[in-house]
Amino acid sequence: MKLIIGQFVPGDSIIHRMDPRAKLITVFIFVFIVFLANNPWTYGFLLAFTVLGILVSKVPFSFIYRGLKPVLFIIIFTFILNALFTRQGDVLISAGWFQLTTAGLKQAIFISIRLLAIIVVTTLLTLTTSPIAITDGLETLLKPLKKWRFPVHEFALMMSIALRFIPTLMEETEKIMKAQMARGVDFSSGSLVKRGKAIIPLLVPLFVGAFKRAEDLAMAMEARGYRGDVGRTKFRLLKWHGRDTGLLSVLAVLTAALILMRG
Amino acid sequence: MKSTSLRKNIMVALLAAIAFIIMFLQFPLPLFPTFLTIDLSDVPAIIGAIVYGPAAGIIIEAIKNLLHWLTSGSVTGVPIGEFANFLTGTVYILVSTWLFRKRKTFSSLISGMVAGTIVTAIVMSIANYFVIFPSYAYFLGFPIDAAVKMAQAANHSINDLFSLVVLGVLPFNIIKCIIISIIAIPIYARVRPRMNLNI
Repeated sequence: MKLIIGQFVPGDSIIHRMDPRAKLITVFIFVFIVFLANNPWTYGFLLAFTVLGILVSKVPFSFIYRGLKPVLFIIIFTFILNALFTRQGDVLISAGWFQLTTAGLKQAIFISIRLLAIIVVTTLLTLTTSPIAITDGLETLLKPLKKWRFPVHEFALMMSIALRFIPTLMEETEKIMKAQMARGVDFSSGSLVKRGKAIIPLLVPLFVGAFKRAEDLAMAMEARGYRGDVGRTKFRLLKWHGRDTGLLSVLAVLTAALILMRG
Repeated sequence: MKSTSLRKNIMVALLAAIAFIIMFLQFPLPLFPTFLTIDLSDVPAIIGAIVYGPAAGIIIEAIKNLLHWLTSGSVTGVPIGEFANFLTGTVYILVSTWLFRKRKTFSSLISGMVAGTIVTAIVMSIANYFVIFPSYAYFLGFPIDAAVKMAQAANHSINDLFSLVVLGVLPFNIIKCIIISIIAIPIYARVRPRMNLNI
């Protein structure tokens, strides 16, 4: 079992240094305004914004490609489907049931740009922001929900604990798997029932181990005076800079341009 | 009082981390369309829900899907698959623990899980027909016919969205819930004596 947790690539570009709150807001709004685009101009703007983001972030293209690889097939698939199923406009190529029209080609290109823009921008967020920074950003952004008694702080705490312990628990999973394999458990072959049964001796020690760990961690936190978010000071402080306002202004300009230019 | 709630929060976080790890071990079922994959990541959530109440189970589902989205991205950028997974897990947990929490016996747990399986399969079929497939189609600009064609490769009697839901999604969710229940019960039975010592 070899996994890479998180796609975060440490770096020092202006996007890396931006406040996670600004980046989260941008991605959230961007996913919506992408759907405003409906003609070559507006799709051009989206593409320009996306390319600009890649260039400014200075993330090597190979990393973005790695993030895109699992969905590349879907984009190509969608492209082909849209090209084939749209039957309006002038016929470009026609061979039997196969027919490529201008409208189909246009539709296919637009949808692919839309998908690429959404995926690249969300990937840029996870590439340039560490999961822990995203959690901190979410905690501050969701603070208003406290009014409705949604436990924002506890949720953020649980998120960061889960993030912190994923590598540890993964190591433990691997250790248990090896220990059980040494006793003759076969995880990778056999029928569905067999594989299901094999997972029980893996999960039981994992749960019991996690329970002990939770016990220790709770004790350690209380010994250091943890008592919820009342009067808590933070090690990682979020600071809003000019560049964050800048990012939001660029987004506002993009939104305005999309609304003005859409046909 | 306070310490047990902190301990519970931490345990919920660790269960979510375990669920997240298990989520990567997903595999498609034979005879079903490839985009329906099964994974056992609901097992930690149901255990958490039995021990700490349904809210804990829902939080485990939420953290697991949020982490999955943050770390591996989503096919559409918009987390539809994660949302579907969250919905399945939540409905299943709510129904199965609702019956269990009244009497807290093994037979009520089993009847709760049976009810949970049936309700989840029905709710997810409705959600798939009206929300999930249409939203995939919308975000991907992907005609629903295409998903139907993909499914046809696995099962020839599927010829429209309705038959895809009835012949693909409905039995898939039933099998998924049955597998999860079958695995969760022995695990709970073995973990429970060790958990009670510490609460």
